[in-house]
Amino acid sequence: MDISRPMLKRLAIAGAVTLAVAGLADVLLHAAWAQNPFGAPKGAVAEPQVSGIIGWLLAKQSEFYLQMSKTIRAAKTDGSAVWALLGISFAYGVFHAAGPGHGKAVISSYLVANEETARRGIVLSFASALMQALMAIAIVGIGAAVLNVTAGQMCGAERVIEIASYGLIAAFGARLVWSKGGGFFRALRSWRGAPSPLVPAMAHAHGHDHAHHDHGHSHDTHERVPHDHAHAHHHDHNHPDHVHDEHCGHSHGPEPSALAGPGGWSRGLSAILTVGIRPCSGAILVLVFALAQGLFWAGVAATLLMGLGTAITVSAIAIIAVSAKGLASRMAAGRDGGGAILLRGIEFGAAALVLLFGTGLLLGYIGAERVTCF
Amino acid sequence: MRRLIQCFFAVAMLAVTAGAAQAHPHVWIVAKSELIYAPDGSITGIRHAWTFDDMFSTYALQGIESKTKGVYTRDELKPLAQTNVESLKEYAFFTFAKAGGAGSQKKEKFNDPIDYYLEYKDSALTLHFTLPFKAPVKTPALALEVFDPSYFIDFQLNEKDPVTLVGAPATCKLSVQRPTDGSAQAQTMNEQTFLNGDNSNYGAMFANKITVDCP
Repeated sequence: MDISRPMLKRLAIAGAVTLAVAGLADVLLHAAWAQNPFGAPKGAVAEPQVSGIIGWLLAKQSEFYLQMSKTIRAAKTDGSAVWALLGISFAYGVFHAAGPGHGKAVISSYLVANEETARRGIVLSFASALMQALMAIAIVGIGAAVLNVTAGQMCGAERVIEIASYGLIAAFGARLVWSKGGGFFRALRSWRGAPSPLVPAMAHAHGHDHAHHDHGHSHDTHERVPHDHAHAHHHDHNHPDHVHDEHCGHSHGPEPSALAGPGGWSRGLSAILTVGIRPCSGAILVLVFALAQGLFWAGVAATLLMGLGTAITVSAIAIIAVSAKGLASRMAAGRDGGGAILLRGIEFGAAALVLLFGTGLLLGYIGAERVTCF
Repeated sequence: MRRLIQCFFAVAMLAVTAGAAQAHPHVWIVAKSELIYAPDGSITGIRHAWTFDDMFSTYALQGIESKTKGVYTRDELKPLAQTNVESLKEYAFFTFAKAGGAGSQKKEKFNDPIDYYLEYKDSALTLHFTLPFKAPVKTPALALEVFDPSYFIDFQLNEKDPVTLVGAPATCKLSVQRPTDGSAQAQTMNEQTFLNGDNSNYGAMFANKITVDCP
């Protein structure tokens, strides 16, 4: 199975990069606090009885979050504290996103459901994180800074946006399920009807071809041209009536080339809108706090850096999701009919997940980050 | 194929852990509570004083008018206090009481809060309110937990005198268990907890447990 090796390597690299970024941020921040006279004493945060990765993530998030208000206060008298604030905000973003909140889950599922490239995953992650940050800035900027509404009123607006965003996720998921369902059931049908596993060696050879093409495919994260090439190739190989026909169905509606091209972005845009419309409560709190200290711009900068941190983590998650899917397609390609089912099934499952997320959030079965209304 | 399964298992793990990690506190409350006893030894209610963290206090004060900048009177904060107690109802006031000895415990319900007000001091808001029991509780053992099941709010009991008994019979003994004190019963949280447990209630792992035994 040497085919999968590059993919595994990439997975490993993606994981390592995430860890490295997180670890580095941690180290840098501790250094920053040590130098900053306003940095809070280390023991300020009560460490809960937690262990493992989750416990660590929880503890770090709380730690960074608590530091934010202290640094903003400090920035009032000492401008240089703003640098610490920016660092903390960035780190908070990285850790906050380490769990795909619904937004991150939606992006990853969307990428898996569609034959998306890692590069597009990164772009989507950054765009949606930026939109999220801008939404928070807009809500606080207009609501608090201009209209001077109360927290309760702002919260009411947030609630409306929240419900709208859940509705959007559900709708987005329904659309994905609709388009993915076709491919899945077609694959299922033809697998049942196929004279499958006993098909001669030829099919086997095809499988191998596939694997190689997919290999080329995975590289199109860097260049689009070979991608098209690989795909065209794909098609040529595929269309004769053999078992692997569904593999072609891969590309569901529009061709991948069209997706990456102009116009193909409309679908990506709906993903960005779905995810980015709902601002993070943490960002809103920080912005209002900064505004009250007369340092709104510092809050804006902090929010943008939080977004940057979030985007980096979400990108890493997106890369893992896409790589896992790539690995699956490579492995499935080596198998007969069942492989296609598996792939279509994964895509269909990912699409269903988005729909479930949306409806679950909408009906309150899944508790998302609560909007601070009290 | 095995590698494939492993891979997807890893992704699933990531999704599960990630979902859990998302809910982390955005609001910190330092809590002080009083248990109010009637002369006959029954408990009539709980009086809470919850102090919010710097950031949330500032957030909550956004748009609230005050005569003197940075100073808020109890009257000026009245509407906010009202909103607070009203919305706390949705979360059962984050206060969960059970009466009775082990094995025969019964959940006790509360009426709407009374005597509530907000106080602004040292750039922190403190919400005072009394939760009366639906009916006064006469019990040899009362177990009280203060926590947010979704862990959006982190409750910490006050360092000094977190809980006081007001008018309790002299034989009553109070014990307090913090989630952070590392006592034997404090649960450790790890991946296993999240995979096994009901995620929606994992804030319970950060619960402050108060027990009163009146033999």
